[in-house]
Amino acid sequence: MHLKRSLPAALKYEAVRVEEAARKAGLDGYEVEFELLPPDALNAVAAYGGFPVRYPSWRFGMEYERLEKGHRWGLSRIYELVVNNDPAYAYLVSSNSRLEQKLVMAHVFGHADFFKHNVWFAPTDRRMLDTLASDATKVRRAIDRVGQERVERFIDRVLSIETLIDPYLPLREMRGGANAQSSERAVQLPTYDLLGFLCERAPLEPFEREVLGCLRREAYYFAPQRMTKVMNEGWASYWHSRLLTGGLLEPAEIVDFADCHSSATVCAPGRLNPYKLGIECWRAAEARGLDLFALRRVHNDVTFLDELVDDAFLERELASCGGARLLPPREGPPDYAGGKARLLQELSWGGLPQIGLVAVGAEGEGELLLAHRHDGRDLQLAQARETLKALAAVWGGPVHLMTIENGQGRRLVATAGEVKTLETRDALRACA
Amino acid sequence: MLRIDADRARFREIVRGRIRSDLKRYLSTGELIGRSGDHSVSIPLPQIELPHFVFGSNDEGAGEGQGEAGEGGETKARAQGAGQAGEDPGLHILEVEVEFDDLAAMLGEALALPKIEPRGHKTMEADSGRYSGLRVHGPESLRHFRRSYKNALKRTIASGQWDPARPRVVPEREDLRFRNKKSVRKPDSSAVVIHMMDVSGSMGREQKEIVRIQAFWIDTWLRSQYRNLEVVYVVHDAVAKVVDQHTFFHLRESGGTKISSAYELCLKLVRERYRPEDWNIYPFHYSDGDNWSARDTESCVSLLRDELLPRVNQFCYGQVKSAHGSGQFKKDLDAALPVADKLVTAAVGEKGEIPDSIKAFLGRGR
Repeated sequence: MHLKRSLPAALKYEAVRVEEAARKAGLDGYEVEFELLPPDALNAVAAYGGFPVRYPSWRFGMEYERLEKGHRWGLSRIYELVVNNDPAYAYLVSSNSRLEQKLVMAHVFGHADFFKHNVWFAPTDRRMLDTLASDATKVRRAIDRVGQERVERFIDRVLSIETLIDPYLPLREMRGGANAQSSERAVQLPTYDLLGFLCERAPLEPFEREVLGCLRREAYYFAPQRMTKVMNEGWASYWHSRLLTGGLLEPAEIVDFADCHSSATVCAPGRLNPYKLGIECWRAAEARGLDLFALRRVHNDVTFLDELVDDAFLERELASCGGARLLPPREGPPDYAGGKARLLQELSWGGLPQIGLVAVGAEGEGELLLAHRHDGRDLQLAQARETLKALAAVWGGPVHLMTIENGQGRRLVATAGEVKTLETRDALRACA
Repeated sequence: MLRIDADRARFREIVRGRIRSDLKRYLSTGELIGRSGDHSVSIPLPQIELPHFVFGSNDEGAGEGQGEAGEGGETKARAQGAGQAGEDPGLHILEVEVEFDDLAAMLGEALALPKIEPRGHKTMEADSGRYSGLRVHGPESLRHFRRSYKNALKRTIASGQWDPARPRVVPEREDLRFRNKKSVRKPDSSAVVIHMMDVSGSMGREQKEIVRIQAFWIDTWLRSQYRNLEVVYVVHDAVAKVVDQHTFFHLRESGGTKISSAYELCLKLVRERYRPEDWNIYPFHYSDGDNWSARDTESCVSLLRDELLPRVNQFCYGQVKSAHGSGQFKKDLDAALPVADKLVTAAVGEKGEIPDSIKAFLGRGR
């Protein structure tokens, strides 16, 4: 059993009890290192995504300001924060009640188990705390060499295109024996791994290549969390509920627990709540007598929901999970098949548009051609144009993007300075 | 310095436009005053959103209509936001409803204003505060439903009367909880703000808007410092008179400008209604800096030096830039009274400079 070094005795006792219950129930996560922080310190750590050391960026400052103001005016507060690492790092807020701490601990052990066993997390870096700290040093060194403004400008451009990765790539490469992070492979076209392509082929300065490598690592590290949000949060919620009501609660705490639990799973109208949707799926799986541990090993959100969501589930749970809009009222029986398709579509590819690199040099010397795989949902073009400019600036040459707007083919052509939008029939084929 | 403080400082510099002007396009413009509605004001939080490939509609005018319309209607900041949203994809304003006291606290913090030390003998401590505590007795109107219900639910379950099939909870007297005022010690003292404004022809709509915003923040801050705050409005051209708030901000005269008329009226008010022994006195005067004659300016200076400054906590002169104003009066004041530490003068060229002048006025903690 791990020493919970930084915790006061009372909480240490609870942590040990919760951990014991979790192991008995079959959860087998990484060791969890809890740290108790006052709210403002937690806001700072949360602004960095739970990592104590990140590269310097105004983005983290902005996030901190948002969290801090929200906390100060009583609008939001952070319950739990856990980092996928070995050991897993989790933070407890000193202003929480003892019951809340227990709930958070149980929740965290759920996440730690999920991180360790879900296959999509298998390729992630389990020493990410160290990696990010050393990446931060690299960025700081680059700043010392060329100045903060230039480094920051480059970081901001890359952040605009950080979603242009192939979330399935790391697992494929792990299976194939190669390592997603190694630079010794050649990118094959077509590819969704645009960041990898740029690392390899863009005419970058040394500091740019180094920074791009750091940001690509982060993008791939965070991608599985996007792909498994519903499952992961559902899994943790399912277990905190089961562990606490399975003997960890004092009788006097039951009502407060119910209050606390329901406020975490309550839904803002119109927005899917992953906690609620997830926990209902796990309960449905349990009711069907499925092997929960096997499910949490192999699925991501899309395959998981595809497996578990049926007409009865949609009828019973969809509205309470914030998904009523996915099942619009109509004459006759509700369109369950359509509702499920829309639900899965919303979660596919991490909820992002699927945009890949199709060709290099086909449109002109040194020009990239990208295609948006159109699934019925248009891109927000104003933002797409700005994003494309950022990409052109990183690539150092013109970039073309084929997409569809209201059924009409569009070709956006960007250089670092400007974007043109052309009408084209070719896009309809390219985006299929 | 903590790491996060460095990042936050960098973010604030960008928001202020001092560095990285290329990010300006993605910045939501947060104004200091959104709207002073019914005791709540929305504080826009500046956000920079880098562009990404996202799904979204491309219909004309469909922008980032984030957040529901507040009860108080559209705020200025939001109205602007909606208008720009079409071409400005990064726009995103998170609005927060805030109480007046909180607002003053934020202002105080943002501008690093010192707490005012009240003078005069009416500085008894008095209770005032917010309903942030709980107690077991109280009037129905202050009943805390959630806490009362929870107690009743717990008692029902504990006494074995809970029936999941018929989940009925009947609260009893002992379950009820009421909101309780938590005491905050505040000096029990009185203050008066005398806003004086030049309404001669050269003060246009924009100048008055600046005065209006400035007066709002000054009142908000002083109200947080004094239990009892009175505000008097004086307008002047060649003659001065006391008016109500609405008139103060909307009156437009044409005649000439005799600033001494306002200072004389101010002195009369101080002598007859707001005696320095009982009141903390804050006169503010706003004009575009044009006075009738050098002679009149001289009499203003002697009025200030001999009569007004000894009696008031602080006298503030705010000079608003206008197309016609010469801005001479501030120079004359600064030259004639260089060491008067109760006199603060500040020039405001545009709205963006309002925070600096407020800080100049209130930063001394008088």
